[in-house]
Parts: sequence; structure tokens; C-alpha cells
Amino acid sequence: MRYPYLKSCLIGILFLLSNYSVGQVRPSPADTHEFTLANGLRLIVREDHRAPTVAHMVWYRAGSMDETNGRTGVAHVLEHMMFKGTDEVKTGEFSRLVAAVGGRENAFTSLDYTAYFQQVEQSKLATVMQLEADRMSNLRFDDAEFKKEMQVIMEERRLRTEDNASAIMNETLMATAFMSSPYRHPVIGWMNDLENMQAVDARNWYENWYAPNNAIVVISGDVDPAKVRVLAEQYYGPSKTKTLPVRKPQVEPVQIGIKNVIVQAPADAPQITMAWKVPHLEPSAPDQIEPYALEVLGGVLDGYDNARLSRALVKQQRLVDGIDVSYNLISRGPQLFQIGATVAKGKTIAQTQAGIRQVLQEVMTQGVTEAELKRIKVRILANQIYKRDSIFGQAMEIGSAEIAGFSWRDLDLILERIQNVTSAQVQAVAKRYLIDAGLTIAVLEPQLRKKQISGTAAPVKTHLGEMVKSQ
Amino acid sequence: MKLITKLLAFIVVNIIFFVSVALAIPPIQTLTLNNGARAYLIQTNVLPIIDIEVTIDAGARYDPPNKTGLAELTASLLSLGVQSGQKMISEAAIADEIADLGASLSVMASGERATMRIRSLSRADLRQRIVELGATILAHPRFEAKIVEREKQRLIASLLEAETKPEYILERRFKKAVFRSYPLGSSATAQSIAQIQVSDLKQFHQLFYRGDRITVNLVGDIDRQEATQIAQALLLQLAATGPAINPLPKLTESPIEPASTRETQITFDTQQTHIAMGMTAIPRNDPDYFPLLVGNYVLGGGGFVSRLMNEVREKRGLAYSVSSYFIPGKNIGIFQAGLQTRNDQASLALGVMRETIARFINEGPSATDLVAAKANLSNGYPLRIDSNRKLLDNLSSITWNNLPLDTLDTWTKKIEAVTVEQVSQAFQKHLAMNRMQTVVVGASVASPK
Repeated sequence: MRYPYLKSCLIGILFLLSNYSVGQVRPSPADTHEFTLANGLRLIVREDHRAPTVAHMVWYRAGSMDETNGRTGVAHVLEHMMFKGTDEVKTGEFSRLVAAVGGRENAFTSLDYTAYFQQVEQSKLATVMQLEADRMSNLRFDDAEFKKEMQVIMEERRLRTEDNASAIMNETLMATAFMSSPYRHPVIGWMNDLENMQAVDARNWYENWYAPNNAIVVISGDVDPAKVRVLAEQYYGPSKTKTLPVRKPQVEPVQIGIKNVIVQAPADAPQITMAWKVPHLEPSAPDQIEPYALEVLGGVLDGYDNARLSRALVKQQRLVDGIDVSYNLISRGPQLFQIGATVAKGKTIAQTQAGIRQVLQEVMTQGVTEAELKRIKVRILANQIYKRDSIFGQAMEIGSAEIAGFSWRDLDLILERIQNVTSAQVQAVAKRYLIDAGLTIAVLEPQLRKKQISGTAAPVKTHLGEMVKSQ
Repeated sequence: MKLITKLLAFIVVNIIFFVSVALAIPPIQTLTLNNGARAYLIQTNVLPIIDIEVTIDAGARYDPPNKTGLAELTASLLSLGVQSGQKMISEAAIADEIADLGASLSVMASGERATMRIRSLSRADLRQRIVELGATILAHPRFEAKIVEREKQRLIASLLEAETKPEYILERRFKKAVFRSYPLGSSATAQSIAQIQVSDLKQFHQLFYRGDRITVNLVGDIDRQEATQIAQALLLQLAATGPAINPLPKLTESPIEPASTRETQITFDTQQTHIAMGMTAIPRNDPDYFPLLVGNYVLGGGGFVSRLMNEVREKRGLAYSVSSYFIPGKNIGIFQAGLQTRNDQASLALGVMRETIARFINEGPSATDLVAAKANLSNGYPLRIDSNRKLLDNLSSITWNNLPLDTLDTWTKKIEAVTVEQVSQAFQKHLAMNRMQTVVVGASVASPK
């Protein structure tokens, strides 16, 4: 069979769909291959020959949670600087070379990691791998380039956060919920830290964390794993192992009482987010049932159009215009189980909060129905098949599991364990964790945006020739 | 030196041989239906799934003048309850059924058209259930007064929220500036949504949702016969045709105007100023589509390597994102460029953007630019068709815009045939700085902070 993993997955879901039986064991997927180079670099190859394309990703286990005070945002700053040249590739050349082979590329930074990727026609893999391996060890940028890029990054923060009430609210929520964990800092960094960021901060970050033994290369698509391994040895092989800085645990102290925070920012409708401290899956204890039960709870509350929160609060009670749940089963740092809602006209934050609590109370006292459990499980398993439609998506899934300390092999086991969750277990996690002692509530109080600002508005020049020749 | 030399050599080889990438593109099959609708299939058997798009010529361009938002609201209400004779299915039961099948089903309307998209496992019993549900939703929406009122409230709330956001204010004002009296120049408002009654929704649905205004596009693990059955079943309960519909007005080219009347400033107390500029341009089936596509890659479409990105971001650090693009529709199209920047440098950034676009219209691309653009577009072509979802997007564009069915097969050839002269001529023919509308939203204060 060409797609043994898929077939086994399919058998699983069809079995489930036809008689809702759960818990079948699937063999390890034979189309995924794993290698470790002598320098410590891990390479995971997912063979998928459906189309002649390939996704090439490098994940560094260095996200904003690894930053220190005063230098928040430096992981993301370095991500930008990685496009600014190496000893042999000039500023801007990286993107030009990837573009020339028809590639799509970008990078992203999160709380947990920084990742870089290219998508190309399969015969171009060596080109992008050579470029990516080069900047793993040979990055070089000058101070002027750094200063200019900091302006771009501050524009990015203005765009994403400063002018966006929901983003400010979320940033404030995280900074309130966490006292000690570095998850309290925004990935993009505080504006004042960005204003004071020095080129040396970014260079130190690179020196500390960019090493083959802190990286995972994930490749998915139309490739021969043995050949990919040879290429990886050739390009990533010479990269030198480093001694990584010690990561302090920075474990968040147990919260012992409700926290409330109000954000006043330009918006029309009030918003509320209720966020509880909850466990996430630990690589050392993949059998713990609670994270799986929380995942299912999230699905029962908000997993489909008629799920409990939307049915009760949007449709029946008309308290809110929109409501959603977020929870990450897999992460490096501490997790929140969040319920966020936009309050409907004429209704209040207090009514909304009471409405949310009532829906949760029903789960705590009565559990969930078998029909709901089955629906959530079917959805999760169907998505396992749909996601095979994206070569890039498969690399993403493998990379994010690996970077949190799991193996790609765990992905199937995780699904099986989700299937085994019972109503009593969902009820138990709701009762244990969705309590006020671990709750943070953020409220957005809408402010009018001043349409006319005071002072003289300068007319924007309309004629040509305004461009300043700054080069 | 070694690395870069080797890479450059490699890339030159690639550019020369970019035609050598042999790509098996599954053919588009034309299906024959018996109720006036059109249907097409791309069969792919790699995954046990099917993707279906039902396209209805019922987009916002048919909104009545005082009821902008009617097409959107009609589409969004389709799956919120149906009634067919004695048979009634509540919105909750519809949502539960979709979830139970492990499928997804959504209906939405954009400016040009409404679309219902279904994704399902291809197993016969599962797909039959979701197709049956989709058919009922298309033909017999209930438009229950209570649910209509609720969805109006939600839409109004989201519009009021959007009005606090500079990007939305910009987009709305820009559409007005470029489309002017053409229907797409209007945007839904709290007032226009409040005007819409249940009877409007029922009328709009009855008039526009019918066989002769529908195309069904299918991609996935089904054969021709199965696809034909699915398409027939989806449209079975709909009328094949109906009364004539008034033709749409013509979109006239953005006129030559003095700079002062082509620019709109809206003062808004944000940290950044948002800027958009553009004008009317070409529909998708225009012969200049490929020269403009290749040319715009050089100007502002080519991600990190475009001229706009280079001038605005890479050289000057003025913005995080800056780009330009053509938005070619079925009968009309526009060109749009935009950026966001700190208020005190808005004037500078706009100047750079204008100068870059003006120079490109005047001078066109260099021979090197053109080679790079064609190399990217040709070499990257497989990335445009490497999933069922992308194949559906392509199929949908081809059938909606009445493009030849061999469009995917000839795409790279057409890219490669584009010359510097064609790009220059096409840009000069379709774009002109003295026709460009500019909208600026923000607090553009005189003194730097």
C-alpha cells in the first residue's frame, strides 16, 4: 500500500463512524522516517507522493519563553534578521534565491519556538536546504541593517497589537494570568524593549540557540528519505554542536485566587475572556488523562456549530454575538483553558459571565452526553484524514509536536487516548480546574475612537517626487 | 563565495530548464446535467475525500440599493433551518448532522457570487447524506423570523465593531472610490442590514438560486458517474430557470481627475496610518491577464523580492507589509496597492509607494526582473495545484470566469511567453497615475514624535 498510515487511519474512522467503537490500535506509520545526525540535528521525513512538491522546515527550540527581562521580542527580532545575509549570501539574496526556484517561504516565532520554511517543487529541495543550513551557522548582519529592521518590527507591533483592542486585551490577560512564567510576555515583545533592543542582543540570541542540537528539520512531500538523509548530512552535517544555555524551569506558582483586569481600548462591543490554569500534556507522562479530557471538553463546548456555548449563549439566550474556546493540548509552557465572548447589544459583562458559568455548571453536575462525545471524536478523526490534503500542514503538525518534546509517533497515540475519554472524565476536569482559584478574567471596556484628533493634521503630499532618496 | 556561486549556477540552470518540470495535471471533466446547470470534475484518488463547491451567481453585486448585505445575509442563513413541505430540519439538527458525518458545509457570499462548500469523506453512505442535506439547504431555507432577526443583530454588531478598525474604514472607502456607482461600491451598514426583511431574503433566494445560475465543481475520490449523480442530487430540488434578471451596470474606467479629488483623507486616532491606492483594471479573461500578473510580481506581488517591498520595507524600514495586486473578476476588475505605517511617516511612505508604481508604469520591468518573475511563477507552479483544495480553487476560478478547460495545462507556457514589451504596454494601457484613487486613514500628524 502506498499510504499505509492513511489507510489505517481511514479504517479507524470508518469503524468509528459505523458503530462508534473506539480504541483500535494502529501500526506506526511506515511513511515517516527519523534520523539523527552526529551533530545532534534531528531529521524527520514524511513521505507523501501525492504531488511533486516538498515542504522544508527548520524548527529551533528557542521561542519567546526562552527570553529574559528587558529583551522580550528578541526571538522574533532574530527571525527577521535571519533574512539579512550570511558570510556568503548578501542581504536580500536569500529570498531572491528561494524565489528564483519558485519557492514560497516565510518564518514564524511563537512562545515555544522559531521556525523557518520553504515550499518548493521537489527537485529544488537541495537549493533551499543549502541556504537554510548556511544561515544556521553563518549569519552575519551589520548594525545599520539591524536598526532598519527594528523599525519594521515596531511597525509590525503597531499593526498587530497597538491599534487592535482584542490583541491588547489578550496581551494583558497573559501578563495578568502569569506572574513568573515567561508566557506572560508577548511574542513580539513589549514596545519599550523593542525600542531599546541592540544588535548585540540579537547576535547573542543567535550564538546561544542556533545550533544543530537545538534544531529539528522536518521535510514532507515527494521525497526519497534515503536521499534526503544524504542531503542533510551534506548541508547540515558540518554545522557545529553548541553547549546550550541552561533553561530555568520558571514554574508558575499556583494561583490562589481570582484575578480581574480591565482594558479600555477603542472598540464597539464589550468583550470578556475567562481563562483558567489547566494542565497540558507532558512528554514524560503521556498517559495522564486530564489533558485529553480538557481537549474533549473544549470540543463539547465549542467544537461545532451547535456546540453548547454557542447554542446556549448565542442562539438561545442572545447574551453574546460570538464565543469561542481555546486550549492547547501540546505546548512547552503552562496552559490556559480560555473562553472568550463578545457581548451582545443591551447585555452586560456580568450577564455573560453568569451565562458562561451556567453552561460550565451543567457539565460539572451532569457530565456530557454520549452523542456529544461521539461527535467530537468523529470530527477529530475526520480531520486526521482531511489534513493529509496539505503537505505543509503535515510538516507543521510533526514539528510542533517534536518541539514540545513529543515524538511524531505520539500523534497517533494521542488521538487514541482522546477517543477513550469518558463523560465522567470530562466532568471531573471541569470540576477540578474551572474554579475561581485558578481563574483570570479580562474585560474589554470599549472606548470611542476619536475620529478627529487635536492639533494640525498635516496633509499627505499628493504630488510625485516626494520620495526621499535615503540610500 | 563558493556557496553563492554554486547556488547561482544551479539557479541559472533551473531558470533555463524551467519547462522541464513535467507535471501530470488531472484533466477537468465536463459533466452533463439535466436541469440547466453546469458541472465539472477533477478526479483524484489519492485521498478518500471529496470537495464540492456549488457556485451561485448571487453575489453582493445584485444587492438592491438600500439593502446592501442582502446577498451575504441570504447565503449565511441558508444552513440555519430548512422546511420542505412537511419536512422541517432545525438549525441545531443541521449542525449536528454535519458534525456526525465528520463533514463540513458552509455557505457564504462575496461580491461576485455565493458559494456552498462541502468537504466529506468519499465513502458512499456518508457523502450521500451530506449531499442530501446540502440539496435541501440550497432549495428550502426556512428564513425563520427569529433566526433572521438574530443573524441581523450579529451582522450589525460585527459591522459596528469593524467601524472602529482603520483597515475596515480604509477598505470600505477605497471600494467606494474605485467602484463609485457600480453596486460593489456600496458596503453593508447597520442601516442597510436593518432594512432587510424576511420577504427580501425569500425573494432574493427564489430569484437567484436556480439551475441556470449555478455551477457545481467537484474534486476528489469519485468517478464521472458518481460526480454526475452528486451534482444532479444537489440541484434536484431547485428550479431550472426563472424570470429574467436586470443586467448589471457597466463599471467605467476610473476617470482622469486632479490629484485633490482623487484623494480621500479620514482622520482616525490610530498609531498607524493605513493607505490604499488603485483604480479599475481588467477582468480575469482579459488577454492582458498574464503580462499584468508577471509584471505585478515584479512591482508588488512577489513577496519579499518585489519593488514595493524593496523600496518601502527593505531600504527604508517604513512598513511591515506593502503590496500590490490585481483583483480580476468575471466581468470587471481592479488594481490595489497598500501599506500601513507610523503616522508621522505616512507622507513619506505614500510618496515612495507612488513613485515606485509610477516608475514601473513608465519604465516597465528590466529584462532581469522579467526572468526572475517568470522563473518564480513557472517553477512554483506545482505549489498552486498540490492539494485537492487548491485544485478546487483553480477549477472554481476556471469555470466561474469561463476560461478554457486547458487553463491549468497551458498556464506555465503563457507565463513563459510574456515579454518585457507586453508588460510595459499592458501596464500603460490599464493603469495611469492620474486615474489612481488614494485613501488615507489615520492620524497623520505634522511633527515626528
